[in-house]
Amino acid sequence: MSVRNPTDWKSDVMRRRIARRYGAERRFRLLGLGAVALSAAFLAFLLFTMMGNGLRGFTRTEIALKVDFPASPLLLDPATITDEALANANLPMVTGEVAKKALGADADALLSPTAWVSIRDAIKADPKILSRTETIRVPASTAIDLAAKSKGSPEAEAAVARLKQAGVLSTGFNWNFLTASDGTDPTQVGIWGAFKGSLLTMLVTLLLSFPVGVATALYLEEYAPKAWWTDIIEVSINNLAAVPSIIFGLLGLSIFLNFLHLPRSAALIGGMTLALMTMPVIVIAGRNAIKSVPPSIRDAALGIGASPVQVVFQHVLPLALPGILTGTIIGMARALGETAPLLMIGMRAFIATPPGGITDPATVLPVQIFLWSDEVSKGFVEKTSAAIIVLLVFLLAMNGLAIYLRNKFEKRW
Amino acid sequence: MTGPAILLLLAGLGAIAWVSARARALRLQTAARVTGRRDAVHSLPGYHGWYVALWTLIPAGIFLAVWANVSPGLVTQAVLADPAAQSLPADVFSRSAILGEARAIASGLQAGAFNPASQALVEPYREALNIYGVAGAALALILAFAGGAYAFTRIRPDFRARTRVERLVMATLLVASLLAIVTTLGIVASLLWESFRFFSMVNPLDFLFGTKWSPQSAAMGYGNKDAFGAVPLFWGTIFIGAIIAMIVAIPLGLMSAVYLTQYATPTVRKWMKPILEVLAGVPTVVYGYFAALTVAPALRDLAVSVGIHGASSESALAAGLVMGVMIIPFVSSMADDSIAAVPQSMRDGSLAMGATTSETITRVLIPAALPGVVGGVLLAVSRAIGETMIVVMAAGLAANLTANPFASVTTVTTQIVQLLTGDQEFDSAKTLAAFALGLVLFIVTLLLNIVALRVVKKYREAYE
Repeated sequence: MSVRNPTDWKSDVMRRRIARRYGAERRFRLLGLGAVALSAAFLAFLLFTMMGNGLRGFTRTEIALKVDFPASPLLLDPATITDEALANANLPMVTGEVAKKALGADADALLSPTAWVSIRDAIKADPKILSRTETIRVPASTAIDLAAKSKGSPEAEAAVARLKQAGVLSTGFNWNFLTASDGTDPTQVGIWGAFKGSLLTMLVTLLLSFPVGVATALYLEEYAPKAWWTDIIEVSINNLAAVPSIIFGLLGLSIFLNFLHLPRSAALIGGMTLALMTMPVIVIAGRNAIKSVPPSIRDAALGIGASPVQVVFQHVLPLALPGILTGTIIGMARALGETAPLLMIGMRAFIATPPGGITDPATVLPVQIFLWSDEVSKGFVEKTSAAIIVLLVFLLAMNGLAIYLRNKFEKRW
Repeated sequence: MTGPAILLLLAGLGAIAWVSARARALRLQTAARVTGRRDAVHSLPGYHGWYVALWTLIPAGIFLAVWANVSPGLVTQAVLADPAAQSLPADVFSRSAILGEARAIASGLQAGAFNPASQALVEPYREALNIYGVAGAALALILAFAGGAYAFTRIRPDFRARTRVERLVMATLLVASLLAIVTTLGIVASLLWESFRFFSMVNPLDFLFGTKWSPQSAAMGYGNKDAFGAVPLFWGTIFIGAIIAMIVAIPLGLMSAVYLTQYATPTVRKWMKPILEVLAGVPTVVYGYFAALTVAPALRDLAVSVGIHGASSESALAAGLVMGVMIIPFVSSMADDSIAAVPQSMRDGSLAMGATTSETITRVLIPAALPGVVGGVLLAVSRAIGETMIVVMAAGLAANLTANPFASVTTVTTQIVQLLTGDQEFDSAKTLAAFALGLVLFIVTLLLNIVALRVVKKYREAYE
């Protein structure tokens, strides 16, 4: 057996070896930093792309159109302006003629095909303008809109330059985007219909999943005996939390629509389907919150004669509620961003009027985004991104609220 | 009487029952106090109130729920017995169309009749609806009064109202928790039922091992034999979800977890962890849009510029890359947990022997945390293959059996969406195929989850 000499730490071999090991250490560390930075960079890239495309969706280009109402071929009497009279007045054609007179022969290419809606609204707001000449700002066509905001086709760029010289072009905040619903013309579409649909769907989801989720969590954590059937409940809740969302869509389609014949593409069905998906999330969060309430509180309440139901509803539940709420908000945020199960139950229909109730046909924000992303017209790109911004702002607000609640009410017992 | 009105009336009755029963219990309590026996009343007055209110509401509520399902049939029978219904055609379809129209007019949902035959039936319908509506309301109210009165007479000092009310509360909690089982059964039953119908048209072996997927040709009547081979879909799903996405997610997620747990200062950790979590919170439709609009065209340009043939603007790579990024925080937090579960003494021991931090991580921490990491990766795969919107928007519809990441492939979830949108008739193999695909997806993700949870659990027990 050979005797090994003490290591000569100062020798060149050892120095090189140590340098190599430290180099490897630095590279490994940089690799880790790189991984984190790459993930964050991807997020930043995603957000900036959406912002870059989407912020333009909140503005729109308008053309000031001088309308000489008495001289126009419009057959309307200021005294009797009704919706029916306006519908019969053939406004689209009249608007086209007025525009041709004011802007030249290519006016059709300059104005949005639904520019007449602005004129109709102006007449509705003040019928007296029918007796005078009035300048009304109407939305420009998609090509002009794009060219005015960034780069468009050469013809559109030339038209924009001409309109700018005439001083009729202006850019304003697109209120229409927040108040209108889906449509076929990208200059006139808005998110209000989808937003309202989302709100109604979330309302149904919350009303169904929160009570059931909390009740389940309370039962399993506080009362359930250890038996084979409580094990089955536990296993099915954990499984439901991991089932792909599209499977819930298939469930909703075959049970709610085909078997129970509930109304198609309604917020009610969407809410019921999402509630089944959200419930396990609430149960799991609720159980953790209930588990963290110290047993001494239960013992104290039982000790002075409270019944088990009183202990839970008057002591444990109020203390666990902030944690349950945090979990609920996170579950609702997930449901708000969900698209696939809603496609299955027919919420991808074209719906141009905001839903009046939970049984009316409705669409929701993520589905609206999906539908617009399929549109061929170029003007829909910025609308889609703008709708994504609205959705992300909402989700961030919800997650922010959850974090705030957690920080505010988190207790170390 | 209309539905909302009767519900409102019942709610009012319930409130009255609650208030009066509580008042009576309070009087009993005061009386007992006067005689000096403070414990003579078993339950608090509120419980007596709830007991009577529940007896008022529940029987009437159950009756109304049953009545709402039974009365339409009774109304139709009454109308058919009417002389005006004798002239109805014998054909079932036109018969029910006429009846439906008359019903809609009678209940005020429709203004006028298209069919003159239904106009004659409106009056009998209105009458029958009225009779059965009033009868239902009256019976519900009688039940409410009877229930409330019965419960009210039971209020005595020694009556155990609290026990009764609490028993109901417990029953409600139990029923709520059973809903999870009902949902699971519903999923399994609906998938199995529709898949069974599908497999009665298409041989299961052809479905599972066939390599040609073209449901359109089956719908056009070319036969089912060769149209529903799902292997290209399974391959596309595995290619995107389990191969490309994991090539992105595993190294990035694992290295992020290592950096954030072992190297990062508390401040960096505090900021970077939530930022990574935002990646998990972005809706998948946004990722899908991003993949289709930005990533896929860029990748195609790249592929064309280096001379790859068959580069498609909808590619497996675009969908897989973006999906991988979406999964990063998931892998990272699972790895984070399992690295944190490795005892500190093992790390200290390694460092004390002179190992550098990176050597400690790669030779001690990660091997020790490996089962947890593997479990996390399995869960991530399960999530990736069930993911729908990214692949619907970015992966394409062509069922290709190809290993070229720049080509368009299709996945199980994409095809489910594709098959179930548009015109749906639920007796064609084309529509039912979606449920068979759903069944496969459900079984595979379920198995992955079970295995993953087993692995994680087993590993955790080793150190605790």
